[in-house]
Amino acid sequence: MTEQARIDRLAEAVERFVADPRAPHPSHDRELAALLAIARDLRDLPRPEFKARLGADLERRAAMATIAAVTHRGIPSVIPYLAVQPAVELIDFVKRAFGAQELLRTTGSGGGVHAEVRIGDSRVMIGGGGSWSGTPTPTGLHLYVTDADAVYRTALEAGAESLHAPVDQPYGDREASVKDLAGNHWYIATHRSGSHVPVGLGTVTPYLHPHGATALIEFLKQAFGAEEMAVHRGPDDVIVHAKMRVGGSVIEMGEAHGEWMPMPTMFYLYVDDVDTWYRRALAAGGTSQEVPAQQPYGERRAAVRDAFGNQWYMAAPAT
Amino acid sequence: MEPQAPTETLGDDSERRLIEAAQADSRRFGVLYERHFDRVYAFVARRARDRTEAEDLTAEVFHHALAHLGRFEWRGVPFVAWLLQIARNAVADRWQRLARERGTPSPERAEDGDVADVDRRTMLADLVGRLPGDQQRVVLQRFVAQRSIREIAHELGRTEGAVKQLQFRALETLRARLRDVHD
Repeated sequence: MTEQARIDRLAEAVERFVADPRAPHPSHDRELAALLAIARDLRDLPRPEFKARLGADLERRAAMATIAAVTHRGIPSVIPYLAVQPAVELIDFVKRAFGAQELLRTTGSGGGVHAEVRIGDSRVMIGGGGSWSGTPTPTGLHLYVTDADAVYRTALEAGAESLHAPVDQPYGDREASVKDLAGNHWYIATHRSGSHVPVGLGTVTPYLHPHGATALIEFLKQAFGAEEMAVHRGPDDVIVHAKMRVGGSVIEMGEAHGEWMPMPTMFYLYVDDVDTWYRRALAAGGTSQEVPAQQPYGERRAAVRDAFGNQWYMAAPAT
Repeated sequence: MEPQAPTETLGDDSERRLIEAAQADSRRFGVLYERHFDRVYAFVARRARDRTEAEDLTAEVFHHALAHLGRFEWRGVPFVAWLLQIARNAVADRWQRLARERGTPSPERAEDGDVADVDRRTMLADLVGRLPGDQQRVVLQRFVAQRSIREIAHELGRTEGAVKQLQFRALETLRARLRDVHD
């Protein structure tokens, strides 16, 4: 057989094979069958465009991770601060309901307290009580536990009011919600795939319901170098759920709707350089609430309020 | 040129240095990606239902590997074995999720037994990369993108006869080189 004939015969066989990969091979022609076997494997090779695109994506992520590593060092942690009148009672509640461990409590001359508790791997600050007369900042908190049903029952026994009994959510979490005696909403959840806490989250994550989540995300990025871990939008482009990494911590949010209305929150950020982060938060559109100053207890501290009413305290040990 | 040996037989020292460099600075991850992409893709493609799923899973494996590179400890186990373990988990997770969503049982786990098949596809990807430019373009267009001879001829500015000849030469070359490797 001439070479031209072999070329044509292969081209015809490939044509048939491309049209129907299950078409029988010409078994009588071993050479042709061998070439077609290679052709079959070639169909499963990766597309070069895909390889290039993924390579570029990884490069971008690697560069982002490098920037993020620097930012994480700048803001090691973001801690929700629950400023409420019944602060002492709230400390007692989180201990009984969620097994919180009290790390610190100071009581002022007017009977007001400042406390820090640990719930699972997360820290929460609680303050108020006594003669304290500030504006309370109860908030929404996403709490991951091994058994949402059991913790929901315990929370009710500890005095919480039920908002929603446990249900299986379409996104794979078993979830319930309660309101404690100070007005905080606790979204008690058990993740159903792998660990009971989704990858990337801690035991407690603040959950905001702002009017204008997109703008809040922008503020977090500009003020604190926050990164989007996940942003899910509904059909009308409204943010249904977003996870933002702020320094070494995560803040969740979803656009305010229905019963989930804004609960402006107070946050305590430990930062490497109070003055720099303070200026940056102002440049991002924040309003000064407290200029950087040494505190009697040994920290340098400043505070900024964002357009959504959240308060961001930035603190570092005094140098 | 002789085909390159499978990646895991490359010198331990060179692999180890690359990993340590990438752990210190994740922007160096690209070298590891280039080195192991074909094997991970071949491994995943055998278990995926279609090309889209194979691409999704491959992306998932490398995203995870980049994010968790710090966890890889050098104990003489090839880096590619770590990547394939991530791939195995990613495939299993996906099947479980699909089964849950659709209320159907998980498909049977693909056996790892067919290492030879993954080896062959990895080798083939490498050999295609070493074909002369024209032959390589024809192979990618004809078999990966599944274009017709006429479309390829038009795109390359060649006659249909010339494209058929390139297709023939490319397959012959690949067959000969695969035979060399196996001998």
